[in-house]
Amino acid sequence: MSDSSWLSDIPQLDRHQLLDIRKTLDGAYRSFSREYGDSIEAFFDPLLTFLIWFEKLLLSSPWWLVIAVLAVFAYVASRSWKLTLGVVVAFFLIGFFGMWDNTMRTMSIILVSTLLAVIIGIPIGIAMARSDRVQSTVTPVLDIMQTMPAFVYLIPVVMLLGIGKIPGVIAVIIYAVPPVIRLTNLGIRLVDKEVLEAATAYGASPMQRLFGVQLPLAMPNIMAGINQTIMMALAMVVIASMIGVKGLGQPVLKSITNQYFTLGLMNGLAIVALAIIFDRISQSYAKRTLQNFGGH
Amino acid sequence: MRKIFATSLLLASTSLSTFANASECGSVTIADMNWNSATLIANIDRFILEHGFDCDAELVPGDTMPTGTAMIEKGQPDIAPEFWSNSMKSALDQGVKDGRIRYAGVTLSDGGEEGFWVPAYMVEKDPSLATIAGIKANAKLFEHPEDPSKSAFMGCPAGWNCQISTSQLFEAMDLAASGFDLIDPGSGAGLSGSIAKAYEREEAWLGYYWAPTAVLGKYKMVKVDFGSGIDEKHFKECITQNDCLTPKATMYPPSAVDSVVTEEFAARAPEVMAYLSARSFKNAQMNELLAWMEDQQADGEYSVEHFINNYEDTWSAWVDSATAKKIKKAVSEL
Repeated sequence: MSDSSWLSDIPQLDRHQLLDIRKTLDGAYRSFSREYGDSIEAFFDPLLTFLIWFEKLLLSSPWWLVIAVLAVFAYVASRSWKLTLGVVVAFFLIGFFGMWDNTMRTMSIILVSTLLAVIIGIPIGIAMARSDRVQSTVTPVLDIMQTMPAFVYLIPVVMLLGIGKIPGVIAVIIYAVPPVIRLTNLGIRLVDKEVLEAATAYGASPMQRLFGVQLPLAMPNIMAGINQTIMMALAMVVIASMIGVKGLGQPVLKSITNQYFTLGLMNGLAIVALAIIFDRISQSYAKRTLQNFGGH
Repeated sequence: MRKIFATSLLLASTSLSTFANASECGSVTIADMNWNSATLIANIDRFILEHGFDCDAELVPGDTMPTGTAMIEKGQPDIAPEFWSNSMKSALDQGVKDGRIRYAGVTLSDGGEEGFWVPAYMVEKDPSLATIAGIKANAKLFEHPEDPSKSAFMGCPAGWNCQISTSQLFEAMDLAASGFDLIDPGSGAGLSGSIAKAYEREEAWLGYYWAPTAVLGKYKMVKVDFGSGIDEKHFKECITQNDCLTPKATMYPPSAVDSVVTEEFAARAPEVMAYLSARSFKNAQMNELLAWMEDQQADGEYSVEHFINNYEDTWSAWVDSATAKKIKKAVSEL
């Protein structure tokens, strides 16, 4: 009777075959984590030490010093008094509403994640720009990283590394690194062929061409990529707090489960404030690098 | 695939035949709540009602609060098989008083079990770790993932009810003075993930958990004795209150876990009521079943098959022999 059933039903593995596949893969992962978990954890130890050190640094510095450093940073990047004043006011308000410690924790994890994303992302972007083969293999991987629901890889990472900062940073980087890779690739590919030819004519070596011509000309695009990376890292704050990363995400989670609307709104706004500040600073920096080139 | 096709045909024909002779019981809705043990019990109830009592049973998904409210206000669904009644005690009592619902029986005879747990392999090595005094003396064993000078205690995820009781008991037993830090795992998945990780590598673990759960079925854990006994009054008045400043140590009192039915259904189907009042599980057995479910990654229907086939002693005590025969016949036809 089932000879023609494939016409009405999609051919499907039966329950036991499916179960076997799932159990085999789960078992393989479990024995992998039992075998190599400790050494992988040890590999990430230096990063963990750095994360903890950086968080403690931000938490133990006096608040006015942190605000002052951020204000100087904002001014140097943007040369705009308005933005600098905005930074000072926003951080003062965050502290005034009792969210200082959580904001510092979130900021430390975002800054470290962004730094790592840039360190990982720019070389990959350069490699993609130089070879079409690399581009065609890396692009689908980036697509997967951006669309795979975070919880799918979050819990396996917890099995491997436990809960806390390291799995949080890994999850954030997986989600946030694609823009900087894509835009580095794009930026370098968009550099004028004639400019490159001119550089070659002057006898520039491939390295000189890369660092003297391609990267500087691609800088506005790369900065846009870094800007996007920061934004996506901030968007992951709440998800990362589901595996025990302290910061602004935790009160948000708490307010979701208990329907504390004001608590959720305040911490949500603090995340927004961080996002806007980082966005404006990196964008105006990108704009200034572009103007510098226009001036020459 | 052929097998599935055949079973679905068979199911269709059996449900047709139940339509025909579903006389006194009629159509029944059973609340299928969204955690493993509730799903399992709901599926068992459905199977037994359908094949043993010729009801036309149907599962409706729903969480504790909405299900309880709907039963009291709308008289639907008919049965809530695993109701943690403390979570809406006053509303349920009012519903019973108004003659809208009825407690049909105790679903978990030991009650829901909460506590602080350590892995069994640690207690085997050092039996003193089964008590809070032993844990305090050996605090150094429980390494903190981020701060070597502290010890780790896995608390309850932010925003859950148990977060209050956990932190009050943490305070009451002065665990911070022994170097413990209360860690927020962020989510239920984070908490169970941290147990799984510790267990797979035989690492030390101390924290809050509850039973019956697949986690405690799969990973043998020992409940830590606070040496205080249970002080239910203090637990209700202080440990579960955020603003109580003088918490004292007390073990978690067992939570009542009942089957709740609507009055209308109780009046209509007394023989099903008799079954529901007899139907109850021990926590150890439920943990074992849940662990099996997780190991097999089984869904509700598949688990019922396993339960009926392998736990005949348990379920045949809930029904009379004629009904038991009908159920056995139905499962052999699956």
